[in-house]
Amino acid sequence: MIVNTRKVLILFLAALLLAVPLVGCSSDGGKDTSEKPAEVKDPYRIGAVLSETGTYAGLGAPERNTLEMEVAKINDAGGVNGHPIEIVFEDDATDPDTAVAATTRLIDKEGVMAIIGATGTGATMAMRQEIDRAGIPQLSPAGGTAVTASFDPLVFQTPWSNSLVVPFELAYIKKQGITKIGLIADSGGFGKDGAGVVKEKVAGAGITIVAEEAFNAGDTDMSAQLTKIKAAGAEAVLMVTAGKEAATVAKNMMDLGMTVPLFGTHGNARTEFIEGAGAGAEGFRFAAGKILLPESYDSGSESYKVATEFIDEYSAQFDKAPDTFAGHAYDALHIIINAMMTLDEGFTPAELRDAIEATDGFVGIGGVFTYSATDHNGMTEDDLVMYQVTDGKWVLAK
Amino acid sequence: MGAPELLQFALAGLKNGSIYALVALGFTIVYASTGVINFAQGEFVMLGGMLSVWAHSTLGLPLPLAALIGILGTAVIGVVFELLAIRPRKDGDPLALIIITVGGSLLLSNLARHVFGPSERSLPAFTAGPSLRFLGATLERQSLWIFGLTALAVVVLTVFYSRTRLGRAMRACSINRTAARLVGVDPKRLVTISFALAAALGGLAGVVTTPLTQTAFNVGSSFGIKGFAAAILGGLGNPIAAVIGGLVLGLLESMSIAFLSSTYKDAISLVVLLLVLFIRPQGLLGRGGREKV
Repeated sequence: MIVNTRKVLILFLAALLLAVPLVGCSSDGGKDTSEKPAEVKDPYRIGAVLSETGTYAGLGAPERNTLEMEVAKINDAGGVNGHPIEIVFEDDATDPDTAVAATTRLIDKEGVMAIIGATGTGATMAMRQEIDRAGIPQLSPAGGTAVTASFDPLVFQTPWSNSLVVPFELAYIKKQGITKIGLIADSGGFGKDGAGVVKEKVAGAGITIVAEEAFNAGDTDMSAQLTKIKAAGAEAVLMVTAGKEAATVAKNMMDLGMTVPLFGTHGNARTEFIEGAGAGAEGFRFAAGKILLPESYDSGSESYKVATEFIDEYSAQFDKAPDTFAGHAYDALHIIINAMMTLDEGFTPAELRDAIEATDGFVGIGGVFTYSATDHNGMTEDDLVMYQVTDGKWVLAK
Repeated sequence: MGAPELLQFALAGLKNGSIYALVALGFTIVYASTGVINFAQGEFVMLGGMLSVWAHSTLGLPLPLAALIGILGTAVIGVVFELLAIRPRKDGDPLALIIITVGGSLLLSNLARHVFGPSERSLPAFTAGPSLRFLGATLERQSLWIFGLTALAVVVLTVFYSRTRLGRAMRACSINRTAARLVGVDPKRLVTISFALAAALGGLAGVVTTPLTQTAFNVGSSFGIKGFAAAILGGLGNPIAAVIGGLVLGLLESMSIAFLSSTYKDAISLVVLLLVLFIRPQGLLGRGGREKV
């Protein structure tokens, strides 16, 4: 049998090529700065490495919106001791290597004194080598446990990490009288990280995992995994993912006629999930911060005031309520600004880092932050609530 | 594991498999007329979904019309892509063309990101209602649409290739371009038509899967990988081969989940794919040394 070697070679090369573009190497690389200052004093420059394209583009977009809106507000109010704030944006295309290159550029070319980013956990971790080299603080809006569990004095985190959310959620599940769960997680950074925490914490919560399944970003159907979970006799399904596949899981469960409850995490706090899953989202419960329903903050409290003001302004400007990711960016920026306010002019990045670590009781969107030399996440379970989807909307779960 | 579960696994595999098959058909068509793998094929799936969501949600058109816009709009984009990016490369060097399609796929997904935004979007199911139940297994109604439309696409393509003048010309051209030109077939026109067909099929795949899986600007690459694997597995031969490749791949995946591990399902199906290619480099249904459309 004659095989056309040239064709085989071309097919082989084609297969190799396949791997390259998928990572998405579309960094625009262009400098993209916010409002130029009109004041005499030099601006304080902060870098932002966000996923404006790639898988996490849906998260990076609200983060950038928030930073632009808040910086304009801070500068209108006179900046930090008369110094305007300038944010230099970089797109990492949801790719860790691009994030590292962007960080290098921000440090060496732009001379930023702190960096907000990256949107994803993988990119956040990859940036660390450059952050350590430059010795400047990094505030990450990524939710992976690794960001703070693998401790770095320069790295701070604003979202509730999986290690905070998972025990809170497991305790809630246990309270519903459920002791056997099926775990389904994506094979990417967030899902793997969360599944690891779940496996570590279930025993302590008095729950056993009867089936553990995974799926990949881009998968079109999870009914095979769910059939296995169903056959294993799970009393509930716990899903850990931040991707759009969450909606497919919810829908597949409904289509398979599974009646056990589905639980998610803060990674699913997006309206796109409800739209995508339709009726399958009904009854879906997940833990997240209070920003989704401002009334869950005690009305009259400072948290309530901060959150409603932010939600109103963001909604007015972008025609859409801010999601949790917008909140994480808000917190990252304001923690840096507040730290800067406490310092005298001409401070060094090391002093800025110390001031950030001294953050005590900062009332943000995600919760009340108190960083310490050992805790760079800064939040507690008090900042979390359980939500439930009812009639296509979030309400507080009972 | 009981019979209902096994049936459920099989259905899940067939459902994914038909989606892969639809994408694989597009790869096969372009390969037949140009000898290249079109890496923008996955983006056609994305465009079909995105355009129909746009027509349905933003323009408020009824679903059937929106679906048609998704398919035809994608076909038009396929033609434009061929005219602007493929045709100017006159020597038809496959390697250069493959790289052009890779670039085209990046361009299309980034354009979609800017035009339609970064969020995932969805469409309602074609037929509303609870999923169908039989023998202890369930199947959502949308899957029937996927099965039906995949089958229809194969029948239409087979008839097109064997019964119509244009289809025969395309086959002639893929067997021997020079000889086809000698008897009056214009290969350039056929390449354009094959891109239109492939894009329309990709668009169809996008439209019909969006109610199940949602769509977003970045879904193209994963559809592309699976469709490519299915096309290679089938042997890049005729439409039937593409469908068999797709179904086998889908079933392999769901059976890996059933009996091995969902963590490694893609790795397992890839290993099987490689094994098949070692034993039969021309694919399951391919014929060595000769290309058949």
